[in-house]
Amino acid sequence: MIANAAGKLPTVAPQTSESRALRAEGITKHYTTSEGTITAVDSVSLDVAPGEFLAVIGPSGCGKSTLFNIIGGLVDGYEGRVSVAGETVAGPHASIGMVFQEESTFPWRTVVENVAFPLEIARVSRAERLERARHFISLVGLEGFERRYPAELSGGMRQRVAIARTLAFEPKILLMDEPFAALDEQTRLLLGDKVLQIQQQLKQTTLLITHNITEAVQLADRILVMTYRPGRVKRFVKIDLPRPRSSEIVSSEAFGRYVAKIWSDLREEASRGMQDEETCKRQSGGDGA
Amino acid sequence: MAATGGIGRAVSGPALAHPVTLVRIAIVAALLLAWEALSQSGWLFRDVVPSLWKIGGALGDLLSSRDYWWHLGWTGFEVGAALLIGGLSGLLAGLVLGGSRFLGRAFEPFLYYLGPTPKIIFFPVMIMWFGVGPGSKIALGAISCFFPVVLSTAAGIRQIDLVLIRVGRSFRANAWQMALKVYLPAMRHPVINGLRLGLGIAIIGTLLAETKLSSRGIGFMIIQAYATFAMPRMYALLITLFVLAIGANALVGRLGGVGKRA
Repeated sequence: MIANAAGKLPTVAPQTSESRALRAEGITKHYTTSEGTITAVDSVSLDVAPGEFLAVIGPSGCGKSTLFNIIGGLVDGYEGRVSVAGETVAGPHASIGMVFQEESTFPWRTVVENVAFPLEIARVSRAERLERARHFISLVGLEGFERRYPAELSGGMRQRVAIARTLAFEPKILLMDEPFAALDEQTRLLLGDKVLQIQQQLKQTTLLITHNITEAVQLADRILVMTYRPGRVKRFVKIDLPRPRSSEIVSSEAFGRYVAKIWSDLREEASRGMQDEETCKRQSGGDGA
Repeated sequence: MAATGGIGRAVSGPALAHPVTLVRIAIVAALLLAWEALSQSGWLFRDVVPSLWKIGGALGDLLSSRDYWWHLGWTGFEVGAALLIGGLSGLLAGLVLGGSRFLGRAFEPFLYYLGPTPKIIFFPVMIMWFGVGPGSKIALGAISCFFPVVLSTAAGIRQIDLVLIRVGRSFRANAWQMALKVYLPAMRHPVINGLRLGLGIAIIGTLLAETKLSSRGIGFMIIQAYATFAMPRMYALLITLFVLAIGANALVGRLGGVGKRA
């Protein structure tokens, strides 16, 4: 069934001379606040091979979202270079599709109108964009909901609409910032399966930002563990679990070993983050804000 | 027991017989009855509270006179022009003030102070600038309409969910597409509400100006009826105005209801 659907798809990741679909080199970003300059991300470099699924994991405050916005071209004023297939990225790039952490569907558009949005922006004819939108809606399993408004759907369904919308942009690289953060654990696991299925089917190069270890191990080929403020590369971990994977893998022994390994890396960083936050709160008079 | 059974039937009956509807009808009927009783009692001076039949007759005369429709046309034109001018300039100014933090902070205090000021105090100035004809009425209506529209538009821009803007940018929408497909739909509720308030206030401003100094319009007719002590005619005019205001409000509400599911 999956193979059949894949046959109809437009090619997503054509071969290029560059062996890296996405490359970030020495990304550094400072923010100026009233209390001085904060380094959010410090000389982070990463490579993603075509068709690879890379997860970036780190504690809150490690600059994951900053990295996401820099690679997506939504933030400038950083040092370093982001390139897609060797071409330097400045501003939102046609090869990069972003899925956001927050609720991001347009509430005034129906599901099909939401998914067709990027095609509308690209001035695709109405008939064609509706047809293509329908295809991606069925890919995320939302057939029958085309005419509904986001307010009539559950949080998990809305996030699937957002994913379908980004897929309809037909990006070579899918960039996701904690897309399941607002969902409950069960939905998160099942939606993870769905994303994995689609990613394998489209051979989609994917970069996922997350703070959830289970999610990272469940989905990724490789995991980049980041340090707490300033966000640096701590380690890359290759996940040698068989594919196709599903959420059932969560209970396997090998899975548990990977989770333990990454947690031992992450624990140090997360506790540093927690202490830092407590100090901050104490200094600000413990107003609990 | 019999009474309880009657209420039960009313509840399960068609929508027209819903208890709330029945109470509303009863309220209107009671008011009309009290009015009629007061007018028949003779306690008040002749025609201060005219009989319902007299008002009905005056209403009939009014609606069948060409004069009335001519005056109504002028008032409608003045209110429409006031809404167009005040609404558009309010929308544009609101976009600028909402889009720029600096300009917003610089100008909005003045708008908040001027907003609740009765605009009729500017009428003498408007007469000097735009003459005694429809121009000064339109100007007063437009000024009245401007304030709620500019304030709600500026507030509307600020409450747009920022992630929606990032979504639009990530799909490489140009400035024009961002404005039409992201900003405007995202702020349609506050803008429509502002226009609705603006319409109400434009009607007030225009009619108030017509009652002060003019030779046409419904406001002028009302004052003329009052001056000649044609009370049934004056009440009939008030009734038509009441109906028109409700209709205009419903129309703007309908426009805003296009995407009301969201």
